[in-house]
Amino acid sequence: MKTTKKLLSHSVIAGLTAALLPLAAESASDEKANIHKLYENNCASCHGSDHGGYLAPALNSETLKGRSPTAMRTIIMAGSFDTLMPPFYGRLSDDEIRGLVNHLQNTPKLDNPAWTIEDIKASLKVYVKDESKLPEKPTYEIGSMDDVIGVAARGKYGRGDGSKAVFINSVTHKQIGEIPTGTAAHIIDYNPANPRWAYVKTDTAEIFKVDLYSMQAVRSVKTGYNGPGMGVSRDGKYIMAGSFVPHNAVILDADTLEPLKTFELEGIDPDGKMVTSDSGMVIGTPFDDIFAIALENAGQVWVVDLKKDQDFPVTKITDVGHHLHDAFLTHGGQKLMIASYDDSIVAAIDLKERKIIKKLEAGCVPHVGGGAAVEVDGRTLGFGTNFGDCEKTVVSVWDLDKMEVVKQVPVDGGTESPAAHANAPYVAVDIISKDRRARTIQLIDKKSLEVVKTLDVGGHAYFPEYSADGKFLYVSAGYSGDEVVVYDSNSLQKVASIGMESPAGIFSHGRVKYITRGLSPDEMKGAAK
Amino acid sequence: MRTIALVMTLLFACGVEAASIYGGQSTAQAVCSQCHGIKMPSAGAPFPPLAGRDAEYLQSALKQYRDKTRKSDIMNNIAGSLSDQDIANVATYYSRLKP
Repeated sequence: MKTTKKLLSHSVIAGLTAALLPLAAESASDEKANIHKLYENNCASCHGSDHGGYLAPALNSETLKGRSPTAMRTIIMAGSFDTLMPPFYGRLSDDEIRGLVNHLQNTPKLDNPAWTIEDIKASLKVYVKDESKLPEKPTYEIGSMDDVIGVAARGKYGRGDGSKAVFINSVTHKQIGEIPTGTAAHIIDYNPANPRWAYVKTDTAEIFKVDLYSMQAVRSVKTGYNGPGMGVSRDGKYIMAGSFVPHNAVILDADTLEPLKTFELEGIDPDGKMVTSDSGMVIGTPFDDIFAIALENAGQVWVVDLKKDQDFPVTKITDVGHHLHDAFLTHGGQKLMIASYDDSIVAAIDLKERKIIKKLEAGCVPHVGGGAAVEVDGRTLGFGTNFGDCEKTVVSVWDLDKMEVVKQVPVDGGTESPAAHANAPYVAVDIISKDRRARTIQLIDKKSLEVVKTLDVGGHAYFPEYSADGKFLYVSAGYSGDEVVVYDSNSLQKVASIGMESPAGIFSHGRVKYITRGLSPDEMKGAAK
Repeated sequence: MRTIALVMTLLFACGVEAASIYGGQSTAQAVCSQCHGIKMPSAGAPFPPLAGRDAEYLQSALKQYRDKTRKSDIMNNIAGSLSDQDIANVATYYSRLKP
């Protein structure tokens, strides 16, 4: 742990030194390099290292054409309310802010920067050399490792001391450990084969291998510049990571984090155009020794085989949709439900046949988050949330056996992620529309499929998640909010609050037991072994 | 009748003279928390924490910022938009929060 902190603070010091060098004394090209470094060290983790946008808008000469430099300076200084954009007043000098505005308005979107398998290899850091000396069981009180719940704390500035993965005992609601990640933590995955290992991916595409027993990072590797995509294979031996910048993906050895093979993400999109592509979701499945990865812009899903003695061959499923994003599994992990932003559909894919089963209507700009599925009266129902803040805002409910729309449940606004649990009566969805509605979570009754309750959580309330036993609902009160709030799943009374900076995604260790949140662990029995 | 009396008491309690915690919470979330956070500002932020600070001090500081007897580019502008009631509310809200 100390090593991690030390390494991180070293890079922060290096960054600061670069930023503090007197700009006037440098030549023009050095000045440009310094300003780009300032961009990398403050902006790129959200706006993209290629100036092409990522979680936050693209900042380049094209997108900022005609924008008032004064208005841009104001946003940088004061931040932007109801978004993740923090105030840089006091962190950046007036000269630096002016320099950045000028730089952004004069820099085109950059070409895909190279980050090769050699770069990935060279980025590997080992914090614990001898893993055999790690404790054999958790060094803290916990009934079952499934009770561990992880929160990706972004940190207000998307980097710095507030950026970490925070782990909580979801029975006592007490923090049991935290892993500093340097930049915003985004995704936490757990090893399905060994409960001690977790993997945390940041917005700057670094993956930390975390020992949950001793609550420390043992290794890290940088897989690209930006991108949250990450999946773990069912045998716990491989990790696949996909990037927004550059357009590639890599398979890592889950034990050593050494890269085994990289993939250039490109293909012919549904309109017949050859494009290079951001990586969308990457997912391992209990159904088979495979990964599925979405090529956002190419509209393709690739199925990568993990069979031994083969060079990770790829089966390409094309014409899935325009701008694919995230997905969830059903039917023992054989079927993949993947959201297509621009067509407002969710495509059902059979991972055995490796073909599209059906495209289902899904509301406006579907973003299924981690997805949710519940069994009600003999039917398995899937729930899909929608990013879009359109005239009609709904959560789609599908019958996952018949693959048809059951209902479009009206909700207060755009939504990002549904949470469900076999033992909890409600499916929780987060309202993300950019006003006071963003403070709320709405609860849909599993049986009536109606919204029955709205919780005013505070902050920007998002990414609901049930504890592994289904007794508690965890919600991030993020953005300017600074706590994770815990509710009783039945009474919906607030029972606890855990403070941290800009909490976002919440990931229960119980997820390794379900195919998708909301299904009973018994579903796993259906998975091929 | 009793209900009406109760409502009257509540209305009086939330009137111009007394500070409203709920009003303060709303102002804190809409105006202050962007920089100062609710319970804590960011570990990397150059802004002081407000939770648990003395209400009298917060009120006088905000009034000084508003009247520009205390100089700060950002705070003079932000406090300039607050009424006496807003200041009383937000100072009371933050002073009662545990950091």
